[in-house]
Amino acid sequence: MSLDRDVVGELGTIVGADHVRTGRGDLEPYARDATPLFRGVPDAVVSPRTAEEVAAVLRLATRTGIPVIPRGAGSNLSAGTLADRGGIVLVLTRMDRILEISPDELLARVEAGVTTAALGEAAAAKGLLYAPDPGSRTVSTVGGNVATCAGGLRGLKYGVTRNYVLGTTAVLPTGEIIRTGGRLWKDVAGYDLTRLLTGSEGTLGVLTEITVALLPMPATTNTGVAYFPTLADAGRAVTAVIGDGIVPATLEFLDAKCIGAVEEYANLGLRLDAGALLLFGDDGAADAVERNLTRIGELCTAHRAMEVTLAADVARSDALLAARRCSLPALSRLGTLTILEDATVPRPRLAEMVGRIDEIAERYDVPIATFGHAGDGNLHPTCVVDRHDDAAIERAHKAFGDVFAAAIGMDGTITGEHGVGAAKLPYLEARLGADQMALLRRIKAAFDPAGILNPGKLGS
Amino acid sequence: MTTDRVTGRGIFDPELLDRCISCGFCLPACPTYAQTLDEGSSPRGRINLMRALETGELDDDDSRLREEASFCLGCRACEPVCPAGVQYGQLLETWRDHQWRGRRRPPLAQLLMLVASRTPLLRAIGVVRRHARTPSVPAAPTTLMLGCFERGLYPGVSRSARALLPDIAVPADQGCCGALHAHNGESERGVELARRLGEQLPGVIVTTAGGCAAHLTTVLGRDRVHELSEHLVKTGASPVGRLSVGGRRARVALQDSCHLRNGMGVFAEPRALISAVADLVAVPGEASCCGAAGTYSLLRPRDSRRILDPKLDAIEAADLDYVVAVNPGCLRQLETGLRRRSSKVRAVHLADLLAAAAGGTPLPSGRRWTLPRIRVPARRAGAARTTGGPTA
Repeated sequence: MSLDRDVVGELGTIVGADHVRTGRGDLEPYARDATPLFRGVPDAVVSPRTAEEVAAVLRLATRTGIPVIPRGAGSNLSAGTLADRGGIVLVLTRMDRILEISPDELLARVEAGVTTAALGEAAAAKGLLYAPDPGSRTVSTVGGNVATCAGGLRGLKYGVTRNYVLGTTAVLPTGEIIRTGGRLWKDVAGYDLTRLLTGSEGTLGVLTEITVALLPMPATTNTGVAYFPTLADAGRAVTAVIGDGIVPATLEFLDAKCIGAVEEYANLGLRLDAGALLLFGDDGAADAVERNLTRIGELCTAHRAMEVTLAADVARSDALLAARRCSLPALSRLGTLTILEDATVPRPRLAEMVGRIDEIAERYDVPIATFGHAGDGNLHPTCVVDRHDDAAIERAHKAFGDVFAAAIGMDGTITGEHGVGAAKLPYLEARLGADQMALLRRIKAAFDPAGILNPGKLGS
Repeated sequence: MTTDRVTGRGIFDPELLDRCISCGFCLPACPTYAQTLDEGSSPRGRINLMRALETGELDDDDSRLREEASFCLGCRACEPVCPAGVQYGQLLETWRDHQWRGRRRPPLAQLLMLVASRTPLLRAIGVVRRHARTPSVPAAPTTLMLGCFERGLYPGVSRSARALLPDIAVPADQGCCGALHAHNGESERGVELARRLGEQLPGVIVTTAGGCAAHLTTVLGRDRVHELSEHLVKTGASPVGRLSVGGRRARVALQDSCHLRNGMGVFAEPRALISAVADLVAVPGEASCCGAAGTYSLLRPRDSRRILDPKLDAIEAADLDYVVAVNPGCLRQLETGLRRRSSKVRAVHLADLLAAAAGGTPLPSGRRWTLPRIRVPARRAGAARTTGGPTA
């Protein structure tokens, strides 16, 4: 399928001919995002510069029934920007201006294509913190973060993207430009469309501008590491820490398989006899950070930790965090296809869930190692197989089906932070039920009567 | 759903292509992506183009495919930031081997490779230009590589290196390392030339060219090759003297050599050496490509200048006396660009800077002859690129 020449011409009139690409080789790089195994070639790639241009493109698409897939950096892991029905990939990376950083109001206003890291740096330059820190922050866009309600390593203490979005400018599929929320922390005028758009995965509107809340930059951060004989011990230690009234900024875990893979890859000197590694960190005033970390260390020791180390300085703190940062690279080197999932369970059931994952992996004979965010129960079971081994890939898919079912059975969810996209749509009804699925479709239809915006994803 | 697993044509090593997990972490590191903000000019996008070439989704003559094989600087800035360890430089070499095979190769690249392969010609140029020489010492533990074009363009660099390393042997009978060939679609010839140079130069090969060092390393192994700054630091040689301008310590910045930094992980060493004799000034963008990129500045002068210009702005804004290069291509690029602007900042090779500090001698006053500036119209693929930035 390719677009009518008149349509291509009209798109060129809207955004400028240089920003409409339809060559085979121009489209191929947009056939994928960061999700393995999904490929769908669009018919055109269009890069608008303003909300008005986005509106004109969407009006054209609604009139002609052409699918439009909004895309930021394409770093999502849910096939959320997959053009599996062709259509127009609408790339927002040219909208990359930071419009405002306001220390007085503790907020920032940015265009959708600004990278998360650029926002973070601009805020830091004024002594402020943009708290959400998804793993792909150097490349991901703020628009993409809001569209997927991106999480990150600081979820327990700081929450996720939705906790920081104050307002948006969004373009509806029918071409209206709406402003939701704004510069206010308190504003209950109407349905909370800001929240609805946050995490809507580009199916309800195209975000073009976002206002986010900032925080004062914490004075210091520090980190410690503890080894436990089993993940269950680590889980009990985490429960004890939070029961003690401490909400640490960082609480990350690696299971034994991850520890092994990381050590093999990076030679960090990790203990290979441990069943779990827990990284904990906090930020704030120096004395409070030190007090909290010391107390967390004591609680770990009280819960059978084999060894506890507190970082002496920032450099050492970075070295400790390296184990967590190395997890994905280390695991991805074990094969040629890395499937990274993000099933999430209530925090106290984390160890139980990892146990279930291990059972499932064994049953389907696929290697699954798990790391993740112990503070918020968000796990990253990671399966690494040979890209050309169809049987193993099939078994991996079945295994993950069971993992999602197990998570739902523990009052958990199929995705904590990656999103549904095309990849997890088949599992969504198991999580939401038929009534909610029907409501999602009605909401989708209210925003997008022609069904042109990111079809085959949420709301389909 | 469509899967991305299709059997290949055998152009690429499937293991190398499969390594990419498409996370996109390379995008912010890529100078050409920064120019266009178009996925197709990013490392991840180019790997997807390579995959489409491999599967036959795109044929060899696809205009974007051809454009991107040439538009890529080959700076390998994507490699250190890649969590999956993709060997992008290797993939690019294979891609250009295929894309630039036979008559598809840019004629200018072909000509340069032809000249560089002629060792007697290089020797003759060296004699005329008076590069460093020693009585031949076959059993010397370290030998100095003279380079192909470097010995004609910057013969003083080898003389300075020899002054810094009095015990080093400089055999006159040495050819090109083959990096030029490896990066311009003749990677097999590149390997062959590197092997031959390995035979001509016994022991540890010390080179004043970061790009050559990285290429030689891939063929001869990491232990046999030292870039000059790396060698000086490894052997514990501490720089002597100090470099002054108008009675104060000179203000000096470093322009990293991409392959030295991204391919070999050498970037602290030259900085340590400069700091010992002058005030090292950090300049924004100093670690990213200057646009020389081997033959790139000749093959794509307009794009090369788009990369270079913001760098020159930063250099001029930093109130420097010297900007140091550790690769002849970068030196030529900076020198040409600064001269075009009539800048007061001078581009010098690290060897010359250190030798001048040690000897208290003035730095060489620049080249007396040069390669003619060859104008090649930049090939452009339709609307492949957004406009913006100064034009050549």
